[in-house]
Amino acid sequence: MTATATMVTGAPRPSKPNTRMRLRVRNALIGWSFILPNFLGFALLTLVPVIALFYISFTNWNVFGVAHWTGLENFRRLLGDATFKTAFVNTLYYAVMHIPLTLVVSLGIALLLNTKLRGVAFFRTAAFFPYITSIVAIAMVWNLMFSPDYGPINQILRFIGIADPPGWLTSPQWAMPAVVIISTWRDMGYYMILFLAGLQTVPRELYEAARMDGANAWQRFVNVTIPCLRPTTFFVTVMLTINSFKIFDLILVMTKGGPGISTMVLSQFIWRKGFEENQFGYASAASVVLFLLCIVVTILQFLWNKRGSRA
Amino acid sequence: MKRKIVIAASVAAVAALSLTACSGGSEPSGDATGPVTITVSGWSLDTTPEFQLLADGFHKSNPNITVKLKEYDPSNYNTLVTADLAAGTGPDVITQKEVKYVTTFQEGGQLLDLSDVKLPDGISGTDSYKVDGKLYAVPYRQDAWVLFYNKDLFDKAGVPTPDGSWTWDDYAAAAKELKTKLAAAGSKAYGAYQHTWQSTVQGFANNQSPDGGVLGGKYDYMKPYYERVLDLQKSGAQVTFNTATANQLTYQGEFGKQHAAMMMMGTWYVATLISQQASGDADQFTWGMAPAPQYDASTAGTDKTPVTFGDPTAFGVNANTDGAKQAAAKKFVEYAASEDAAKALAGIGITPALLNDNVVETYFATKGAPQDDLSKFAFSTHTVKPENPTSSKTAAIQNILNDMHSAIMSGSESIDKAISEAQDRVKNEVG
Repeated sequence: MTATATMVTGAPRPSKPNTRMRLRVRNALIGWSFILPNFLGFALLTLVPVIALFYISFTNWNVFGVAHWTGLENFRRLLGDATFKTAFVNTLYYAVMHIPLTLVVSLGIALLLNTKLRGVAFFRTAAFFPYITSIVAIAMVWNLMFSPDYGPINQILRFIGIADPPGWLTSPQWAMPAVVIISTWRDMGYYMILFLAGLQTVPRELYEAARMDGANAWQRFVNVTIPCLRPTTFFVTVMLTINSFKIFDLILVMTKGGPGISTMVLSQFIWRKGFEENQFGYASAASVVLFLLCIVVTILQFLWNKRGSRA
Repeated sequence: MKRKIVIAASVAAVAALSLTACSGGSEPSGDATGPVTITVSGWSLDTTPEFQLLADGFHKSNPNITVKLKEYDPSNYNTLVTADLAAGTGPDVITQKEVKYVTTFQEGGQLLDLSDVKLPDGISGTDSYKVDGKLYAVPYRQDAWVLFYNKDLFDKAGVPTPDGSWTWDDYAAAAKELKTKLAAAGSKAYGAYQHTWQSTVQGFANNQSPDGGVLGGKYDYMKPYYERVLDLQKSGAQVTFNTATANQLTYQGEFGKQHAAMMMMGTWYVATLISQQASGDADQFTWGMAPAPQYDASTAGTDKTPVTFGDPTAFGVNANTDGAKQAAAKKFVEYAASEDAAKALAGIGITPALLNDNVVETYFATKGAPQDDLSKFAFSTHTVKPENPTSSKTAAIQNILNDMHSAIMSGSESIDKAISEAQDRVKNEVG
């Protein structure tokens, strides 16, 4: 049997700049063709409307007919709008409570479920389940659970001796904490998955080395796990922050912004002004404010992360 | 290598081409002599038979005009119709589900001036659709709020049933008496059930108080109404607002399953209760309607005309139709307001805008409808004032008043504080 000598050709070595350019263009085109379907969807359904939003926020459009330019009038009006200020403060209040709580809970569950025991898949699924449950079903069930007179939560509180349990969703002081609890319960599964993926990337040798140096579990956690999880934690925090500022469906279905306007958040303010009162220009201006809030905080987080990773 | 570029380019081309296919564009209207099809917007078509009923009835008398119903989700009806109209694919006949949105459509130039449509005498609700003296929609339905009461529970408690001359104080006293006596008789039913909507208190306050009015910006006149309701809650005569919200109680369930002896509700509930009693979803019991409790004795009594509130439902014509379609749409609107349509609607338990004797008779001839004189009086004799005045400020003000309602009813704010806050907000946000 004759062995056929095949000529092994290595990677083409561009000898002239022309060939290098063609290669770059070809690679770029291939790359673009892969992302084009998704990008087209994004461009049409998200990018173009957002750009239109910036334009509409300077007009007083009411859906029908031409938008009339009104300059900074909408923003001036926002500054004097007490309901907008309440919605803004409520959004921050919700975010400040929700973000650390969800971070801690999801990381905790991820650590607990980061084992290879049999049946751990069941628990991971169970933790993730609330995230995919219908929001309307969640609202119904939690409304009943938080019912001040008949709900199980207050019954348990009374049983352990708290004579005057909070009014939860019917009380302006406790409505937002109640929403935060439900929201954390819903989101923890999703962020748990992200943390689990991050935990898999922590090299085992580091743990063994730490154990040999005499570090206990807490010291291993602080000195090995947390630093190695930094990229994951950063990603989770950024997503969590942006989603917290944009919270809408849970509050709308559970409290509709009530009692009064104690749980009204920016998204609901925008929706009400736009879809219920047809003031799309004004609602767009409020949307621009929400956008700026998200982007400023995200930029700050990126800067913080860069500074931290340099250290 | 070359193939990959070709594939990529063709993918991009296909994507670009498919976008251009999504172009709007109106179809030319049918020619004047041939058959015409018009679209009418509706909601919950399988539980709201009135649209199909009107479509079929109109087609019978106008065989060359077919009516196609366009179904929309009821809780987002106005947003969805607005989107369609803005895109140029809106219905030819635009059903005005809520008076709050009429000015939005009218100011946006979407509604045709219908001042030349012939309307029967005595039709109510047209004022809600008049802007600057021109009529922009024709009402076919006018609901009114009345007092529904459970005769069996009244008898069980030994409390005399309403006689049509109640004021709000009479109502409150009866509710408390019912609760006490029903408990003594071994029943867990409440004296009354008050649904969580703002209209259950504010609709009456706005339209019965001498100085009442949503657009006025001053809401002190609501205080006595709220005081009465909070007192009823405190005395245990009715379920609290917080419990009703937390347990997501339905008014159909509370009255239909005899959890309460009385309930204020709109006349649309008659058809629901009749059908639920027939299907077994509601208990079998004797019930009736009484006029809504009045502000004072001056309008209370079967020899007077009680005052209540309610909003009409109407059909408007899309201003962007023309030629044969527009003429057909106007004919449909005229038919919907006519006595024939009113009798057909009354036959399925809808309260038509035209309430003459023939129509009332047809309404009460339905199997399961109450037969007593007081029910007939409550249904047919009243002054119905609009729940939502026709103005571009109404939607925003009603939202503020709804926040006030939940703040007061949940007990989170005192009545005075909530009212003064609402007044400030209306001044600042609506002007």
